[in-house]
Amino acid sequence: MMTSFVQGSPVKALIVEDTAVHALILSTILRKFHCEITMAENGNEAVQLFLEGKKFDIIFCDKDMPVMSGPETIEKIRALGESHVKIVGISADYDAQEAFVSAGADVFLPKPMKFDVVGPMIQEVINKKNNSMV
Amino acid sequence: MAATMKLSTLGYAASMLSTGLLDEQFQKLLLLQDGSDPNFVVEIITLFCEDGERTIGELTKQLDKRCVNFDEVADFVHKLEGSSATVGAQRVKNACIQFLEFCKEKSRDGCLKTLDTLRVVFYDVSGKFKAMLQLEQQQAEATK
Repeated sequence: MMTSFVQGSPVKALIVEDTAVHALILSTILRKFHCEITMAENGNEAVQLFLEGKKFDIIFCDKDMPVMSGPETIEKIRALGESHVKIVGISADYDAQEAFVSAGADVFLPKPMKFDVVGPMIQEVINKKNNSMV
Repeated sequence: MAATMKLSTLGYAASMLSTGLLDEQFQKLLLLQDGSDPNFVVEIITLFCEDGERTIGELTKQLDKRCVNFDEVADFVHKLEGSSATVGAQRVKNACIQFLEFCKEKSRDGCLKTLDTLRVVFYDVSGKFKAMLQLEQQQAEATK
């Protein structure tokens, strides 16, 4: 996999996923891009991170989770004013795209995930970060 | 090919692919293993087997209740469907899809029958996964 680096800081990625298998796969892929990874097992944990002042460049969010669903989580994060963070909704439910996009997600990835689409997403975030530093 | 896995283990995985127990998604997973994540496949398979066993236990409990909550049953099956699709456990995934249909119909008999099928296919693939991991470990010990 090709990697490209942000001058100064790694991409901060948040994985919101309650299934261990999916969380491990995503974190393994993101590690190859030297991302700084934070995990949340449900939407409530994810929202709490933002309430604590944490910032992320990209969020990968599952749809069906206990406590708070993915779309609800995304709505709450956007409502906190987090308009710049790239949010990727992920689900095995192909009908989930509308729910994610309505909630404020930028992209929908169906499961099982095509691993090679993650790289260009991270590269896009890196490019954006590098451009904002110019 | 996963450079860090032994050829015999890859051969074992190939036979699981050729019999339809696994699909090409598993081959994609193998590609994620490299020097920086040498235990990735072991971890994924272990998690899948543990989660799957727990889920089947939960499904058995749920369907044993006098009043079955089919939405809750469907939630468990959906999770297993997702993880089995992700690791390439094709037959487990297909059994889950069938299971979800019976959940929609709220058919306890249908669910129980499909749970039996699910149990058989899951333990078939998890047994072979565990054998594959043991082979990998034995090979690793032998080359020390």
